This record gives sequence, structure tokens and C-alpha cells, in this order.
Amino acid sequence: MRTDRLVQGLFVALLLVLPAVLAPFYVTLLNYIGLYALVALGLVLLTGVGGLTSFGQAAFVGLGAYTTAVLSTTPELPGWIAWAGASPWLTLLVGLVFTATVAVVVGSLTLKLSGHFLPLGTIAWGISLYFLFGTLESLGGHTGITGISPITLFGVVLDAGEKIYYLIWAFVMVAVFTTQNLLDSREGRAIRALKGGMVMAEAMGVDTSRSRMIIFVIAALHACASGWLYAHMQRFVNPTPFGLHIGIEYLFMAVIGGAGHVWGALVGAGLITVLKQWLQDILPRLLGSAGNFEAIVFGVMMVLVLQRAREGLWPVLKKLVPVKAPQKTIDPAADTLPRRDLPTAGEVILEARNVTRKFGGLVANNDMNLTVKAGEILALIGPNGAGKSTMFNQLSGVDTPTSGEVLFLGKPVAGRDSREIARMGMSRTFQHVRLLPTMTVLENVAIGAHLRGGKGVFHAAWRQDRAEEARLLKEAARQIERVGLGSHMYEEAGSLALGQQRILEIARALCSDPCLLLLDEPAAGLRLKEKEALGDLLRKLRAEGMAILIVEHDMDFVMGLVDRVVVMEFGQKIAEGLPDEVQRDPAVLEAYLGGV
Amino acid sequence: MKLKHVAGSLLIGALSLGVAHADIKIGVVSSSTGPIAMVGIPQKNTVPLMPTKAGGQTIRYIPLDDGSDPTASVVAVKKLISEEKVDAIIGPSGSPNAMGVIQFVAEAGVPLLAPVGTAAVVLPMNDQKKWVFKTTQNDSLIATALLDHMAKTGIKTLGFIGTADPYGENWGKVVADGAAKKGIKIVADERFQRQDTSVTAQALKVMAARPDAVLIAAPGTPAVLPQLALVDRGYKGKFYQTHGAALPDFLKLGGKKVEGTILAASLMLVLDQVPDTHPSKKIAKNYVATYEKAYGAAPATFGGNMFDAGLLLERAIPTALAKGKPGTPEFRSALRDALEQTHEMPATQGVYNMTPADHSGFDERGRELITVTNGTWTLLK
Amino acid sequence: MDVQIALMLAQDGLTNGAIYALLALALVLVFAVTRVIFIPQGEFVAYGALTLAMMQAGTVPATVWLLAGMGATAALIDGGLALRAGQTRRLVGVLGWNLGYPLGLAALLAALPVKDMPLAAQVLLSLAVVVPMGPLMYRLVFQPIAAAPILILLIVSVAVHVAMVGLGLLFFGAEGQRTPAFSDANLELGPLMVSGQTIWVVMSSVVLIVALYQFFERTLYGKALRATAINRAGARLMGISPSLAGKLTFFLAALIGALSGVLIAPITTIYYDTGFLIGLKGFVAAIIGGLASYPLAAVGAVLVGLLESFSSFWASAFKEVIVFTLIIPVLLWRSLTSRHVEEEE
Repeated sequence: MRTDRLVQGLFVALLLVLPAVLAPFYVTLLNYIGLYALVALGLVLLTGVGGLTSFGQAAFVGLGAYTTAVLSTTPELPGWIAWAGASPWLTLLVGLVFTATVAVVVGSLTLKLSGHFLPLGTIAWGISLYFLFGTLESLGGHTGITGISPITLFGVVLDAGEKIYYLIWAFVMVAVFTTQNLLDSREGRAIRALKGGMVMAEAMGVDTSRSRMIIFVIAALHACASGWLYAHMQRFVNPTPFGLHIGIEYLFMAVIGGAGHVWGALVGAGLITVLKQWLQDILPRLLGSAGNFEAIVFGVMMVLVLQRAREGLWPVLKKLVPVKAPQKTIDPAADTLPRRDLPTAGEVILEARNVTRKFGGLVANNDMNLTVKAGEILALIGPNGAGKSTMFNQLSGVDTPTSGEVLFLGKPVAGRDSREIARMGMSRTFQHVRLLPTMTVLENVAIGAHLRGGKGVFHAAWRQDRAEEARLLKEAARQIERVGLGSHMYEEAGSLALGQQRILEIARALCSDPCLLLLDEPAAGLRLKEKEALGDLLRKLRAEGMAILIVEHDMDFVMGLVDRVVVMEFGQKIAEGLPDEVQRDPAVLEAYLGGV
Repeated sequence: MKLKHVAGSLLIGALSLGVAHADIKIGVVSSSTGPIAMVGIPQKNTVPLMPTKAGGQTIRYIPLDDGSDPTASVVAVKKLISEEKVDAIIGPSGSPNAMGVIQFVAEAGVPLLAPVGTAAVVLPMNDQKKWVFKTTQNDSLIATALLDHMAKTGIKTLGFIGTADPYGENWGKVVADGAAKKGIKIVADERFQRQDTSVTAQALKVMAARPDAVLIAAPGTPAVLPQLALVDRGYKGKFYQTHGAALPDFLKLGGKKVEGTILAASLMLVLDQVPDTHPSKKIAKNYVATYEKAYGAAPATFGGNMFDAGLLLERAIPTALAKGKPGTPEFRSALRDALEQTHEMPATQGVYNMTPADHSGFDERGRELITVTNGTWTLLK
Repeated sequence: MDVQIALMLAQDGLTNGAIYALLALALVLVFAVTRVIFIPQGEFVAYGALTLAMMQAGTVPATVWLLAGMGATAALIDGGLALRAGQTRRLVGVLGWNLGYPLGLAALLAALPVKDMPLAAQVLLSLAVVVPMGPLMYRLVFQPIAAAPILILLIVSVAVHVAMVGLGLLFFGAEGQRTPAFSDANLELGPLMVSGQTIWVVMSSVVLIVALYQFFERTLYGKALRATAINRAGARLMGISPSLAGKLTFFLAALIGALSGVLIAPITTIYYDTGFLIGLKGFVAAIIGGLASYPLAAVGAVLVGLLESFSSFWASAFKEVIVFTLIIPVLLWRSLTSRHVEEEE
């Protein structure tokens, strides 16, 4: 039995028996903790994992609560929606659809906001929705809506705290496990790349705007479900619980619990709810009941907690429980992923025609021409500042030439985004390593295979993606073994030496099954043995028919390896040819050695 | 740690249950923090001044703060019911907060004395609301007094400015209803947020409609700003205020500019001018004096609503004690019945007469028309 | 709506906008130097105004005890550090500033007939109480986590806001306060009647903005702050201490906040929790300026003020809905025009 499963099982068993042993009031508290945890869980995904800070979740809770409140208390619903008044379960459905629609609309407006505009955007619509709840007469105004019926499940009316308890915690546990499943999948890796790895993810074919929208909608749906439960538990709604202050409090819970961790949401929601009750009990005894000290002490405690545990409390608690997340297993029996047909050797894969790139008055690339053929390695070399990186950007489609064009497999690269280019079969590494340091080597490399899988969020959440996942992981593991990082497969990528991180990037690029590999200074930081191994690998790839372009400083590494060399200086090509020829070229010698 | 806490609290709960067995326990939920703290604080402050003995039993009050949040009110009420096993609850301070807890007190069979203005907590009377008693004059009772005065002094058009909260909202409704009956036309209906730094725009809108008089409905000191904005813009009409403005700070902040304002409120503001025959005079005077002694300032009327709840319980408890022991459902149910039979009971706000249909029980003795002359409250004759 | 009403609304919006502008500047400054999104900025507005009101009511403002408490905590921490390092001279300085100053000030407030002193002196004393809380707050709360991610700094900043509002309620009570105007003069500008206080607000705001500009352009400390804002690591290498820069920034933010409070207290009613909403609108303005540009933040502030004023007139019940919904397209436009690759924070 895996220890993590055991602990989770114990937790669920504990949840089952708690109502039997606890006083009703503590069951009530657990109900609220469950409701808050559901929202905080959405924030873990959105803010902690995805890096999108939202103050507006309370408004989504409000959407869920008000939808069901209005539908189940209005006596004469208009005909087209009248069917929904029949049961709270139907209003949940309506609420979820409505919330998802609102989230898509709000998201398509605000998720485009970059940086700090996004949190403010969430404040803005959070406040707007809140005041709308209070102002609209049909929503009961500030006074609210009463008389909401309790939920009925299999004939049982959930009108008491210890009855709805099971429903609330069933929702929470489903949310916890589906979120865990989601994060441990192809889509999940794309989501985890949103925070700090967007450029890389796009280059691996991840549609980051789509991933952002996905987590935004999921978080909104969690909030909506919480609101639905709240409305039927409280059987009363008014705008106060959906205001900005509560929205901030949800964020608070997520961060205090540990924003990057699924269980952190439960810890945060539990801690803050219990702490508030506890302060309410204890402070009047300590300080007298003349003033209200709860908020003050609460604020100060939160500051102290965050000063001591920046990552939140879950990582601290986790150390106390001797549970190790199980290592992923690679299933050797999994099918091998199909590979694309590589072009025949000698076919032109990449061609730059008269590429010129100007930045204002500065000409970074001037009339550059080069071709890379299938089954050959081309090196682009030149002294510092020669314009190699700019050229690399033109070739990889990150930048667009001022004039001239770049053709990849005969099609112009300009006007296509990184994803499309990746799909066409170009894959790259980065000069400044871009990987996700807290993810394992295996997971980092598996991001490279993003386009070779197709299972979406629902499949991932309900574990219907395992066969595909096994294929993706097998492929990732194969590439890791191939580049010689096999012994580091389960280590955090951030713990590798810089040279190894560069190699990891090559494995990731290979994982996408490219026909053209663009490597930006792959040998930098490698030791001699590692360089030799890298050289062998590249030779093998060439033999398989891959086209490889290397931008490199290290002449020794290049000269023994590549088929042809293009030398740049001052943005222009000064020489091209076989390594031996180029090395003897007077212009090249002048450029490198300063005119001997 | 959660579990440990839970276990600890259970232990403490069990201990305190043993010690305080014979007492009558009254839970108090007030909003002493958050947006309606100006209502909740005088209420909370009043708790230590309330009767501590009735029918030979000690009354113990257990005050909790709900931070003006209805969710927290429900949590507090549930805590009082299931942890403290209270015999009755006074509170919460806000109308939505009260609306939210009604079903839970009804389910547990605990009488609730709600010091809130909106009549919706007791009307329409039903199986749940029969557990609720209201200790504040219905907003419509006060509004009728103001509208009567308007009709008498020939006011035909009225501008309304209220806070964008339950208080202003409910007042907006009752004034709209009442004004129509008196043939007064509401020509402007504006809202503002309590913390708004400027209500100039609303003032201009009201002035553009040229009403004969303006009624401002806001709880506590927020009632001042709209009136000053109108005066500063040169509005010359009559000003009416609700009992929300019935507190000393209104005069302090308003200064000369609120001279001549008319409001309807309980007699607490004008105790010295009320004839000694008024049944509430002595009680109210006593209350104001003890409050001033304890806190150095006169209470807002919201505090009086809390005190009245205490008086109602003091009167009802001896009857209920005859039917059951404190802490039992029989006692609570008897307490409810006794409260419902309250007849001609003078309190700080007026005289209570409860019936099965009317759980508010105020008549016109629960309000006085008051005006501001020379910077002090004066009874309007 | 006629021209006169439009003008009056514009004047109203401009006055509020002037305050939002000041707060926006402070928020931009704090964010640029320390990466803290300073939610408690608004609390300084309330503290400044209500401290003044307490003095005028003839009581020693409770805020001075908060200052003393913060000072004592700082003295304990810094004094301990100085002792361990054996720096006795530093110890004297630490104790003097953190303990001596608040206690001296408290004694002064108790001894002086503050209630009957001229308004200017009262204002100065209020600032003397409230403003030092800024640097002390930086020392106690933010300095230990100066390198934390923005999200953590933001949440801590929210926690401070929660505590400060709680303290505000404890100190000042729930009812609002007003203070006497700086000047009772009224100015007639065509059809407009402009109150003296309004002119005070707008003029002070302009003067303060110009003064800040001069400070950043001309003085050594100002340049040091700018350097820190542009490149923290670089500034550190150049010998600019990040903690000094932080304290200085918080000093300025507290000063701007408290001064704003003192300025608007005569024209509105200030509550213990007024600060949040005002601060939020300053924040909106600051974001419109991209949390980077001072002039744009000021323009944004005036925009928010005007928007608020006109929407209050047209549909007062929906004012906040209108203001905050209209902010979204503005944000979108700003977000699309200020292209910056966001990556690794």
C-alpha cells in the first residue's frame, strides 16, 4: 500500500466519522471549511499553480448562490427556464453553465491583461458583480433572498448541518482528487508551465491562453459549486458574503495554506475558520470584552506566519507526515508514440533568404542567407555581438525580419506563432535555460511531447488519459536515457548543474519529434566527457535524418562535429563552407583573432 | 492541531456547562466590527448594563461579534445554540443578518429578539417568524410620523437620499409606499456609499428635481454628509432625517448646518422635554444615565433597542420559569409564549404590546417628532 | 444636465481625483521600490484625519500608543541585533528613535494644550504621530520578507490592512469625524462656487506632486530611490541599502496618506474604514499608470474622480458598478499598449 494513498484514505475515513463524534457546532464549522476550501482549491490552481492572482472569486461564489436562490424562490419563472425551478440539482446545472459563460466572457476580457493589470481587473469585476447583487431589486437588494429550499438527495432532505456535511465534503474530495489528477497530466504540465515558463511552453506547442482560460473557468466553477451549497445550507443569500473583502479572504486562505499545493487549500480554509472562532473565544478572556481585538490579532498573526513560512503552511506540515509522493513508473509495455516521417537526407529544411533585421538605425542582420538540409548539422558561429542571436530569433519565428524571408519546409515562418512552428516540426533550446525548476526532469521533458498527445482536461481529471500518459512518459524517459540523464530522471530539474540543464532542454526538444533542431549554445557549461557524449548524440540524430542548426562559441566542439559552418560578423555572413575551409579563411581569422 | 483544538474546546465547553448550570443564558450577537459597527457598538456596549436578575435567577449574557457578515451571524447563532445552549438570543444588528438566522433559531426553538428596523423579520407572520420579536420601531412607524408632518406642512415633493445598504434600501421602500398614500411625490431617489468622500453629485441631482423637502436615511454619522452637501450647494428646502441620525454625533458633525432638521425617533433624545407622565421617561433616563457613566457619551438609539430586549426578557422570564427549567426546550418555548403576551410594557423606546400577529408591538408612543434648534434636540410640539 | 451642473460635477471629480492622484503616486512609489502593493495606504488617510479629530476633541490620540508599541518592538529587534554585534553607539540611536521619540511625543501631547492650538500646529502634530508609523511598518513587517514573491508581499499587505482597520475601530470608534476647514473662504468662479478647502486640496496636491518630482530629480535620496526602483540589485551594488530605501519609501507613503486625510477631513466624513475604498481608487489610478508612470497615474486619478462624479449623478445606485466596469476596458487598453514580456515575475 502506498503511504500517500493510506494517509488520504485515513483522511477520508476521518471525514466520514467526524459528524458522529463532534458536537453539531463543529460540524457546522467543518461545513464552512469545506465551502471555503472548495473556493480556495480553485485559487490554488489559478494563483498558486497558474500564477494568475484573482481577488474576484467571491463574485463567482455569488453567481452560484444567486442563480440557485433566484431560480428556486421565484414562484413564476419565465417559461424557457421554468424547468430549473423543480430541483436544486437543476439549478446547480444552470449555475455552472451560467458561471462558465460569465467566466469565459470575463476571462476573455481580463485574462489578456498582463502583469498587475490582471489582479486589478479581478478586483474591478469582483466589485461590479457585488454591487450589482446589492442594487438589483429582483435579486433582493442588500437585504437578500430568503426561503431557499434545502437540497434533496436520494429522497433525503439535507436540512441539517450534519446531513449536508457529507455532500459538501464529497464535493471537496472530488475537487481535490480531480485537481490532483489534472495537475499530474499532459494538460497539467501545460498549466504548471504558466508560472514562469510561458515562452518555453509556447515553443513546445502549448496554447498558454487556452490553459489560462481553462484554469480560470475551473476555479470559477469550483466557486460556483461552493455558492450553490452555501445557498442551500444557509437557505438565505445577501450580497455581503460575495464582496471584495471575502474575495481577498479566499486568496488569503490559499496563500496561508500553501498556494501551490492542493491540500494547502484545505489547510488554509481550516486554519482561518478555526483561528477566527478561537480568537473570538479566547481574546475576550485575555483582553476583556470592551473592544474587538479579533481582526487585529488575526492580521498580526498572518503577518508572522507568512514571515516564517512564505510557502504557506502545507509544506511545513508535510514534513511532519512521513509521506513520500510515489515515483512515477515508466510502463515499458506502453505503446511507442508514432513518429513523423523525416524528410529524405539532403532535402532543404530551413532556408533564410536575404534576411535583414533592423532595430532603428542598427542593422543586426544584413542580407543573411543560409540553408539547413535534412541529415546535416550546420553551425552558425561568430564573435560576440555578431548578430547570431538575432538570426536565431528570425529562424525560430520569435522575431520577424525587416525584409527577406525564412522558409521552413518551404513555408514562410513569418506570421506563424511559436505553437504552429512547433507543430510543423521545428524544436529548439534556449540560450538562457528555460525549464521549470521544481518539476522533475521527467516532467520537464514530457512537456516537449505536448503536441503528441490529445487528451483534454476532463480525461485528465477523471484519469481517462492513463494509456496516453504512459506513452508520453515512456517517450520522455526514452529521450532522457538517450541524452544520458537517466540517473537524474526523478530529480528536480532545478537541482541539475547548468550543463545538464542544457542537455535536458535537448531531450525536451527531441521529445516533440522534430525534423529540425535549433540548438542555442548547447555545449556551454559542459565538461569534456559530456561534450563528447553530446557530439555522439548529435551525430546519431544526423544519421537518422534530422536537420540540426547549432549556434555556438566553442570552436573545438563545432569543428569536429558539423558538416558546414556559417560565420557571421557585424550582422553579415563573412564565410560559409566546410569546417576546415572556414578555419583557414582569412576573414574568419581576422574576425576571431583580430587580424593576425 | 485542528483536532486538538476541537477536543480542547469540547473540554472547556463541558466544564463551563457544569459551573453555570442554574443560570439563564442569553446569547447576544452584534455587529461590533465591520460596515455596520456604528449600529453594533452601542448595542454591544449596552449588554453590561442590562438586567442580571429575573425571577430569582441570574442572567448571564454571552456576547459575540459577527463582523457585520450574515454568514458569521449564522455561525455565531449556531454556536450559541449548540455550544452554549442559550435560552434566548438578542441580535443580530443588521437586517440581512437577522433574516439569515431566523430559520436556525426557529429550528432550535430559541426565541430571538432582533433589534433591527425592517418589518420583514416579523412579517408576514409564519411558523418560523413566531420565534422572532422585534425591539426596534418598524421603519414604517417612523416614516409615517415624518410623512404626516410633511403632509401637514404642505410638502408636495420629496427628494430621498439613502445609503446603499439594507437600512437605506428598506427606508426607500417604506417611504415610497407611505408617500403615495399622502399624495407626496418622490421626485428624486438617490443612493450613496457610507464611505463616499463626496455626495455632491447626488445633491445636485436632488436639487435639479427641486423638491420641497429632502429625507435622508442613513444609520449613524453617514446621515450628515448628504445634508451638508445640499446646504453647501444652497438648497433651501426642509430636511428630514430618520432615527438613524438620532445620536449626539449628528449635531457635533453637522453644526449650524443641520439647524431645523426634523426627525422622528424614540424619546431618548429629548428626555427632559417629555412630560413626566410618559411611561418610558424614567426608564430611558435611567438607561442613558448609566450608559453615559460607563462610556462617557450618550448612546445612539440602537443601544436602546438592545436594552429593551433585555427588559422584555426580564419581564417574561419569571412567567417562563414556572413552566420549565432554564436550559430546557420547555423553558424556551414558555419564554416565547411569555414574550408574546407582553402587554403595556414601558421600555426605553416606547411601550410594547405583543400579540401573536404583531411581534413588534410599538404604537405611536414609540416615536417623537424632534427638531434641531440652537444646536440641541428639541421636541416638536 | 446643464453646463453649470456639469462644471460642478467636474469640480467635484477633480477634487476627489486630486486625492486619488496623491495616493496613486504613493502606491506607484512603494511598488517600484519595494514591490509591495500597498493596500494599507488608505489606512494612513483615515489615521491622519482621525488623529487630528481626536486632538481637536481634546484627547491624546490613541495612535501615539500604537506608534510607541511599534517603536518598542523595533527597538527590541534592532536593539538585540546591535547588542549582539556589540555596537553600543548604534544601540543608543536605535533606542532613541524607536523608544525616545514616541514617548517624548506622547508626553508632549499630554502636556500641551493641543485642543486650543492653531490648526497648523495640530496638523503638524498629527503628522508627527502618524507618519513615523510608515518606516516602522517597513522595518517590522516588510523588511524581513523583502525578497519574497509579489503575491506573498501582497497578502502580507492585506494582513496589515486587516490589523490596521481593527486598530482604527478600537482607537476611533465606528462613527465618522470631520475637522474644521483650513479656510472658510469661498471663491466665485463664474457660475461656480468653489470652497476654500477644495482649493486647498487641489493646490496641496499639485504642490506635493511638484515637490516629489523635485525630490526624485534633485536630491541624493530621491535619486537613490529611483535607482532602486529601476534595478534593485544594481542599486545594492552601488551601496544603496534596500532597507533604507524601503523605510524612506514608506515614510513618504505614510506622509502622503496622512496629509491626504488631513486635507479631506473638512469636506467629508472620515470613518475608521474609509481608507480602503479611497486607497482602492488610488490603486486603480496607479494601475492605469502601469504602476510605473507618475504622470499617467495622476491622469488616471483624475479620470477615476470624474467618472465617479458623473456616474453618481446619472445613476447613483449603480455608481460603483459603472466605475469598476468601465475600468476594465481602460485596463485592457493599457495592457495592450504597454507591451512587456512577463516571465519569471
